[in-house]
Amino acid sequence: MHSRREFLKCLSLTSVAALVSPSLLLPRTSEAQASSTAQGTDAWRISGSHWGAIRARVAGGKIVEVKPFEYDKYPTEMIQGIIGLVYSSSRIRYPMVRLDWLKKRHLSDTSQRGDNRFVRVTWDQALDMFYEELERVQRDHGPWAMHTGLVGWRQTGQFHSCGNHMLRAVNMHGHTLSTAGDYSTGAGQVILPYVLGSTEVYSQGTSWEIILKETQTLVFWGSDPIKNLQVGWNCETHEAYAYLEQLKHKVAKKEIRVISIDPVSSKTQNYLNCEKQYVNPLTDVALMLGLAHTLYSEKLHDQKFLDNYTLGFEKFLPYLLGTGADKTPKSAEWAARITGIDAKRIKELARLLAKGRTQLIFGWAMQRQQHGEQPFWMGAVLAAMLGQIGLPGGGISYAHHYSSIGVPSSGAAMPGAFPLNLDPGKKPKYQSVDYRGYSQTIPCARAIDALLEPGKVIDYNGQKVKLPPYKMAIYCGCNQWHRQQDKNRMKQAFRQLETVVAVDFTWTATCRFADIVLPACTQFERNDIDAYGSYSGRGVIAMQKLVDPLFNSKTDFEIFKGLTRRFGRDKEYSRGMDEMQWLEFLYENCRKENSKKFPMPPFREFWKKGYVLFPAGKPWVRHADFRADAELNALGTPSGFIEIFSRKIANFNYPDCPGHPVWMEKSERSHGGPKSQRYPLWLQSAHPDKRLHSQLCDSEILRASYAIQGREPLFMSPQDARQRGIRHGDLVRVFNDRGQVIAGAHVSADYPPGVVRLQEGAWYAPTGPKVGALDTYGDPNVLTQDIGSSRLAQAVSPNTCVVQVEKFRGTAPAVTAFGGPQEVLPR
Amino acid sequence: MKKLWHALVSLFCRPAAKIGLGILVTVGFIAGVLSWQGFTSVMGVTNSEEFCVGCHTMQANLHELKDTVHWSNRSGVRAKCADCHVPHDFTDKMARKMKASVEVWSHITGEISTPEKFEENRLRLAQNEWARFRANGSKECRSCHDYKSMDFEKMRETSREAMRGAAQRNQSCLDCHKGIAHHKPATGNSRNPAFDGLMQAASSVSAKEGAVYYNVFPRTLYLDEALSQTAGKLEIAAAVKVLQEKGDAQQVEISAWRKSKGFGRVWYGHFGKNITQATLEKNVAQDAQRIKVTESREDPNTGLVWQKTSGVFWIKKGEVVEKIDPLWSVARDSYKSSCSVCHKQPDEAHFDANTWPGLFGGMVGFTSMDKDTQALVLKYLQSNSSDFKQAGH
Repeated sequence: MHSRREFLKCLSLTSVAALVSPSLLLPRTSEAQASSTAQGTDAWRISGSHWGAIRARVAGGKIVEVKPFEYDKYPTEMIQGIIGLVYSSSRIRYPMVRLDWLKKRHLSDTSQRGDNRFVRVTWDQALDMFYEELERVQRDHGPWAMHTGLVGWRQTGQFHSCGNHMLRAVNMHGHTLSTAGDYSTGAGQVILPYVLGSTEVYSQGTSWEIILKETQTLVFWGSDPIKNLQVGWNCETHEAYAYLEQLKHKVAKKEIRVISIDPVSSKTQNYLNCEKQYVNPLTDVALMLGLAHTLYSEKLHDQKFLDNYTLGFEKFLPYLLGTGADKTPKSAEWAARITGIDAKRIKELARLLAKGRTQLIFGWAMQRQQHGEQPFWMGAVLAAMLGQIGLPGGGISYAHHYSSIGVPSSGAAMPGAFPLNLDPGKKPKYQSVDYRGYSQTIPCARAIDALLEPGKVIDYNGQKVKLPPYKMAIYCGCNQWHRQQDKNRMKQAFRQLETVVAVDFTWTATCRFADIVLPACTQFERNDIDAYGSYSGRGVIAMQKLVDPLFNSKTDFEIFKGLTRRFGRDKEYSRGMDEMQWLEFLYENCRKENSKKFPMPPFREFWKKGYVLFPAGKPWVRHADFRADAELNALGTPSGFIEIFSRKIANFNYPDCPGHPVWMEKSERSHGGPKSQRYPLWLQSAHPDKRLHSQLCDSEILRASYAIQGREPLFMSPQDARQRGIRHGDLVRVFNDRGQVIAGAHVSADYPPGVVRLQEGAWYAPTGPKVGALDTYGDPNVLTQDIGSSRLAQAVSPNTCVVQVEKFRGTAPAVTAFGGPQEVLPR
Repeated sequence: MKKLWHALVSLFCRPAAKIGLGILVTVGFIAGVLSWQGFTSVMGVTNSEEFCVGCHTMQANLHELKDTVHWSNRSGVRAKCADCHVPHDFTDKMARKMKASVEVWSHITGEISTPEKFEENRLRLAQNEWARFRANGSKECRSCHDYKSMDFEKMRETSREAMRGAAQRNQSCLDCHKGIAHHKPATGNSRNPAFDGLMQAASSVSAKEGAVYYNVFPRTLYLDEALSQTAGKLEIAAAVKVLQEKGDAQQVEISAWRKSKGFGRVWYGHFGKNITQATLEKNVAQDAQRIKVTESREDPNTGLVWQKTSGVFWIKKGEVVEKIDPLWSVARDSYKSSCSVCHKQPDEAHFDANTWPGLFGGMVGFTSMDKDTQALVLKYLQSNSSDFKQAGH
């Protein structure tokens, strides 16, 4: 066995070596490797994931080894958590029903939700109950009462994409309450269409190759690509890292200036060894205004660009110069007081930005806060004043940290997915669309408000939304109890729900607070296909089943087929096709679409080989077409031009989002802001470094590599730690008026005084169902506030949050997040 | 010359004196049988695959057929070249065989003698066959596949919907099933096949003067009836009023709105709504003789001044249809399938006409829609947005 392993290792090394050739087509050796080991109990199989493509060795029916796919030159260590994910103690083994719900159904004592006591049932019992609840809610209430949770980062795979399965099945039964927006870019994706005419946050950006060649000053503004590019929406290729490596060399040779504007020394800054510009948390807009004021007063702005390509600069000027209502010039001196940066330094920075070719790259953190629309809008105004939008290596990007954006698109079509919609001409069993005057769609982040303030009418993007007090919620492959802010408020709200169904492979907090829990299998226990590279369109990858579904779990496809069978529509649901037939169907459709430009082998050949790769696309410059001809290639804004002042937004008359970008004080803010006397530390809940949101938190092997005393690390500065008598490795209590968590202190000089970080996605682990119960693991969303960014986007605002930290004294309660439910017998 | 004529007349008209009538009839009959035999065997031979692929240019076609279900299937029924390409009844068959002489000529001249030359001509050749199938309602297909004998209940869900509709319309099989036996030729920039149906429908529309029609595919606008001077582009799904027809050309009037900022090249269908109708060349857009401006109004949402404009242009005949619905139906299908791969597609009326371009533009990169489908889907979303419909909220 050992020698065989060595042999395989050699083989894979040869194939990596052969890859150095410019051809994208992989050498024959890897084919030989795949076919020579595809049989028997000991086999290497290929699969994909948000963390990249992998080859996994299966021996004795178990996954024993995972290594990166040869094409992936910059694999993330997160793939080493995959085995731990599949064999985690948190896996949902059987269909489970909450004890009191099993006894009293929708009349159960909902204050017991979260006590984690569940009874094991059979699949038939569970699906019958699920179906009976669908019937009851549609019959007794109607579509307004049935909420299907927005799906986020489902497990990868185009066919098994779980949200599609849930929505197709549930919508075959009846209409539901749906949501708009998402938790990652809620404010950005609403404001930017008004300003730059596109959501921008999910758009392909200027190619790295061009940035490396043309850009003289590169600004990462609250953006940490080295950390965040580890994960991708589809199977990630990690191709962007090759360019970041080149950037690092250019920085070392002083061929480019790279500045990271961030309160924290980010992973990217440390990797590139680039300059850092500290800024007080949540004050980015003030800094941008100070820069804009300097540009204007020193005549460094591009008036011609403003005249030709933008609208409304003259309406913004009085605010900038202080000749308007507030009589406050937004000068560098004004900005210095808020941002904690010297006025002199602000002016220098403005001159630097105006000097050569400047590319601004924004991250998403600064729009995940109260008034989160403003920094993205003001960034566009700053870029417009610099006049480089549409030039190679100039302008502004809002997404170079995401899914290898900046790697040119191959142009090949990617495989489609299992249909989310009903087939043409089909109607749901319950056709009522009577929402009783409630809104049919609500902003996703206001889902808890709907339960606590039923019937409340809120403003949202120029419309009025009436919040429905839905009675039943279904979450499939989405961890609502990770992403929503203010867990204690949420606990209160969930008591209003009659029935909650959760479908997942692992016992998340969403399962803990559900009534019916159905075990899906992981993506490694089913066959699927996926796009390789969400934006680069590098290829199509086979996700060959590594092992059969563990315990009593099933694919989402089988689960929802079983549900639709209960109202006689399973054939319609599956179109009479099984898993492999669907894969062949999706693949062959993709092959047909690509037939002219990107020939692909027939399905069987593809499946055996495991992947097909396409040649690299051409480098590209964002907004170049608009710059070339602003009339023919008008932006998607109301005017077709960049809108520095938006009449449309101004006409909404929202005090928290006026007609042009403004600096507004936050409801709470560290560094001298509101509530900082009591809670002096800013809590940032950034995307984790070794997880994808809450995914992989249950992987024990990976968690062990960053947890401190089994708890989520709280990153903090040496100064703050010293002041509180905290040492690296201590347990700490992090708290504010909304809640309290236990975490493990990770003291790091990367953090300035007054700034602490708990990475989002840490599993919620309350000591019990009581509102206010201590969280034993360190979920930041126990502490964050559940308020809308503004009336415009109504997005989440987790980064507007202050806390206090103290050393934890006494015996810390055990972590309750992992290990699944407490199985009890029905009484 | 006269002698020869007389000899012929006497040979055919004078009764035979030396040979018995019986002999003459018998010999004539045998000769007739022999030549019929020869004729049918010639007909048979020219219908065989061996004959068809005798011109090596056709070998690739047979090879392509061999990969399909029409060659090999669980029922053991095979459709050979002639089963599809030669009509089954006598008169049509004769007509087809006469036409085939052209193909022999192409073979001799080597017009498609190499695979490369064949590929160059594949689209043209296929279009000939598609036209023949369209004209006869895919008669050859239907000698095996008849709507009347189809059990729709045994079909897959999606097939059932499509086939029932096709049967009701008595649609020609090849309208949808192009490329079923040979590789489908690439049509331009791999156009969405749904447009083929729309373009076919447009080609048979006889326009009434003074009525409004909708453009099914981006087309060139001309200044003259000879279609020699270009004026710009008529966008997909744009409405035009047909004024008159002359030969191959149609004179149309476009009434629209444009922004006063810029050169006024882009024309929109409604005041203040960025739903494009046409894009004109700069000199045309600026030509005050040609372009009438009847009204100016400020858009309250942007502060830009919009002008109500109209102009008269020429387009090629056969590019417009009477109703917009078939276009919207293509757009709706594409929207619902392409935009639900990652998430539930928002209701059309969830956004207004000027918000859709920003959202659509930000997300469409994830789909594999071609440019024309993108334009059509966007226009569909805008035209069915909250500006025109009760919002879904």
